[in-house]
Amino acid sequence: MSRELVIVAVAVGLGTWLFRFLPTRLGRSSALANGRLAGAMEAVGPAAITTLLVASVLPELAAGGPGRVAVLVGCGVAGVTYAVSRNVVVATVLGALAYGLG
Amino acid sequence: MSGEAIGVAGRPPAVAGESTSTPGHNAGDASEPAGSGDRGAADGVVRAATFLDGVRASFPIVMGYFPIAFSFGAAATERGFSAAEAVLLSAVVYSGASQFMALTLLAGGTGIVVSILTLLAMNLRHVLYGPSLLDRVGRRVRTRWAPAWAFGLTDEVYATSIGFLSSRREAWSERWMLGIGASAYASWVAGTIAGAVAGGGALSRYPSIEAALGFMLPALFVALLFSILDRKSLPVVIVAGVVCTVVAGIADVTTGILAGMAVGAIVGAVRSGRSARRLAQ
Repeated sequence: MSRELVIVAVAVGLGTWLFRFLPTRLGRSSALANGRLAGAMEAVGPAAITTLLVASVLPELAAGGPGRVAVLVGCGVAGVTYAVSRNVVVATVLGALAYGLG
Repeated sequence: MSGEAIGVAGRPPAVAGESTSTPGHNAGDASEPAGSGDRGAADGVVRAATFLDGVRASFPIVMGYFPIAFSFGAAATERGFSAAEAVLLSAVVYSGASQFMALTLLAGGTGIVVSILTLLAMNLRHVLYGPSLLDRVGRRVRTRWAPAWAFGLTDEVYATSIGFLSSRREAWSERWMLGIGASAYASWVAGTIAGAVAGGGALSRYPSIEAALGFMLPALFVALLFSILDRKSLPVVIVAGVVCTVVAGIADVTTGILAGMAVGAIVGAVRSGRSARRLAQ
């Protein structure tokens, strides 16, 4: 096993874990006390989900062609299914199936 | 692992045993989806979501992670890395985009320090997830097991947790976080092992299935977005989406995500400040 790979894996793994864990300690005491910070923290969730969605479909939408139609169909089916069923799992599976068949 | 009764109607709502309520959240109101199953009909007792509830909630993530991790395992072995090295990256780093980037950097002979800094920069957005999640859960939330569940706080686990909290905040528990995290992690590592052993092209004989599995995560994000969307979050969603699209077009997708999240958070802070001023007047 490559020594460089092990060093990079351990350092990045440790750093990523600290990114995910340490703020759970820091955020409890400071962020909630301030109205603006609390508003920012509350907005991070919708913003993150939106940007992750955009990032995951943007390359295929930008490329055009039949892939663009499949993405729109998949997203449409997932959205409509959620609106009807209020079930994230069902909406996800049907949206993915619609994309695969599209 | 069975559920435990953690709160009673008429007392401050509890989250994982001790949290207080936060204004602006709709947990437990009349719009809660039927059949969520965590609130006793007769006595108003809220049942903490269990480890198995978390495992069940992870289903779309598991279905989405496996083929991506499979692709990673196959890509790693095709680039000359051993199966053990591929699995080590998945097991220790556990962050999809930066793992693919790690293959490129390491295969290209990039220095260790530059590689580490580049990969850490890609994961910087994760610093926002913990405080955001706990802010939604409530002020006095217990975080005894945070070192464990925070390891699995990936983009998708965070997004699914936010979706859960938007409708079932009072049922949130660390066990639920451990369940969803462990299940997603197992899928990621198993997918990497399968990909490293089978090599690329194993799913290419079934193009529709391969395509559907590849769209699991975007479909999950659509469903989650619908589950949290309301009048309050709509401006944040629009601004974050536009900023991400523009910045991703100018720079790259990772920068687009970071910029969209940052500007979305600023919009949330500005709106929160305006609301506070209006209340003060």
